[in-house]
Amino acid sequence: MNAPMIRCRQLTKSYRKGKTVVTPLEALDLDVPAGEFLALMGPSGSGKTTLLNLLSGIDSPTAGSLEIAGEDIARLSRRELTAWRARHVGYIFQLYHLVPVLTAFENVELPLLLSKLSKKERHARVATALDLVGLGDRVHHVPAELSGGQEQRVAIARAIVANPSLLVADEPTGDLDRDSAARILDLLRGLARDHGKTIVMVTHDARAAAAADRTLHLEKGQLLGDACGHS
Amino acid sequence: MRAFLNLLRLSWLQLARHRVRSLLTVLGVASGMFLFTSVETLQRSLARATETSAADTLLVVYRENRFCPSTSRLPENYADEIRRLPGVREVIPVQVVVNNCGASLDVITFRGVPADQFTRFAPEIRFIEGSEEEWQRRDDGALLGEVFARRRGLSTGDRFDAAGVTVTVSGVLSSPNAQDNNVAYVQLPFLQQASRAGLGVVTQFNVRVESSGDVATVSAAIDEHFRSAQEPTDTRPEKAFFAETAAELVELIGFTRWLGVGAVAAVAALVANALLLVVRGRVKENAVLRTLGYPGRAIACLVVGEGGLLGLAGGAAGVGIAAGFLRWQSFTMGNEGQTLAVQPDLAVIATGIAAGLALGILASLWPAFQAIRQPIVHSLRH
Repeated sequence: MNAPMIRCRQLTKSYRKGKTVVTPLEALDLDVPAGEFLALMGPSGSGKTTLLNLLSGIDSPTAGSLEIAGEDIARLSRRELTAWRARHVGYIFQLYHLVPVLTAFENVELPLLLSKLSKKERHARVATALDLVGLGDRVHHVPAELSGGQEQRVAIARAIVANPSLLVADEPTGDLDRDSAARILDLLRGLARDHGKTIVMVTHDARAAAAADRTLHLEKGQLLGDACGHS
Repeated sequence: MRAFLNLLRLSWLQLARHRVRSLLTVLGVASGMFLFTSVETLQRSLARATETSAADTLLVVYRENRFCPSTSRLPENYADEIRRLPGVREVIPVQVVVNNCGASLDVITFRGVPADQFTRFAPEIRFIEGSEEEWQRRDDGALLGEVFARRRGLSTGDRFDAAGVTVTVSGVLSSPNAQDNNVAYVQLPFLQQASRAGLGVVTQFNVRVESSGDVATVSAAIDEHFRSAQEPTDTRPEKAFFAETAAELVELIGFTRWLGVGAVAAVAALVANALLLVVRGRVKENAVLRTLGYPGRAIACLVVGEGGLLGLAGGAAGVGIAAGFLRWQSFTMGNEGQTLAVQPDLAVIATGIAAGLALGILASLWPAFQAIRQPIVHSLRH
């Protein structure tokens, strides 16, 4: 059996808040195979976003191991983690977080600006990513000229333009109407199915979770049920 | 390098698309740099006029204990005696008439010199308009220094009247010697009569010595030679003469240095404040960029890039406006008959633009640090 794309063992995150120590994630074990679309559900404060932050490398665990594509990112320095993020992770935010003064094209180009790609190569990749999300005709629009669904599709194009193996999405449909949400979920499903992206999505919405290959529930920093596929 | 240029382009886009905010900041920087350039121009013009160099060989012989051209009266025949002293290469008697002996921003200075000695004494002079022959042909002919001609809008053939002297412009000259560019040269007998100083009396002698090493000995020898004469002399290198005669002017200009320092501080504070506000408004945006894989130094580079571009744009605008204004106005400060043309040169322009850029970069360092200080997760929750 192939090694999973994501492998967490005894993953723990705690931090100090005033005089108390808060532990949003405790001794969590999780395996996610490559190309799987995984939904994470749970009440507020259950540790979903903390897990997402750890998986995307924008936060570091306090204890345990976190292997992604065979690399234990818990051991990487801050600088190494930044470089790793640029290569391996695409992050999709609930509120899109596009740069308001940049056009859709320029927003999608952002992850490539520090790469060694030539301008021509960058532009080809941006055009491909925007075509993939169905926004090839909106390249020169700034975010204010786009609908919420279109903004989220630009954000997805930005997340995939550097061709990362892992996409993490923090409630990507949370701010969208039903139709727009359905289009975004179709898009994510297609990215996992047709392009082999491993996707971890946090959601409160059961309909959104239904679009995923598997849904896991988090509560008080623990996954409910077996998240490693042990029989 | 490619990544750096891309970041710089991103900084530029941020500025260009926040047009009002950027324009207001550039305007503030430009105002400060206008003041800085004006002060720096004054300082450099003064330095050019007063700082002696190893190549200086010009002495000014003045009447002892006199400071204004109208009171320095020396016999014209002193020239023959000075010429005989060892180390002296050339002597020219000069009658000086000014429209205002006190401090003024629009001084008109006439220098009367013997027509047959003028270009021999100052071979470095170059004619922009007219010729020496034309000047010699007319008794009332005047050769104007280029700064003087520009300031007054005069050219060959024009007539003008100042300090009770009416002359016709015979030509315009340019000289590496700043004083020559600020005055009108007329023939000595004409000026002696027109100013009622009387024939045979001059204000000063300009003496060229054989080498710069002779300056001190020849000065001392001249003053010693006339010590017991009815009109004793005081001989100094031309630039030292300027510095001492126009001491009040020099002191005033020295004070303006503090205005320049104030302008620089104001520019730095303005850019720092603008960028701190920008950074505070972009906490989440910067966190997103870091999530996308931008290292802290790239975020800092974006902030510093914006600061540098603001400083550069404001610096170039302020320096350009100041240089244009000063050239157009052609201010000439004068005191006790000595003139100082306030003219920006390339060094001032380059210094001003470089200072704008450096201030922009320096002022953005703290905001840049602020932009990368917080952990990403904390900033995303902002």
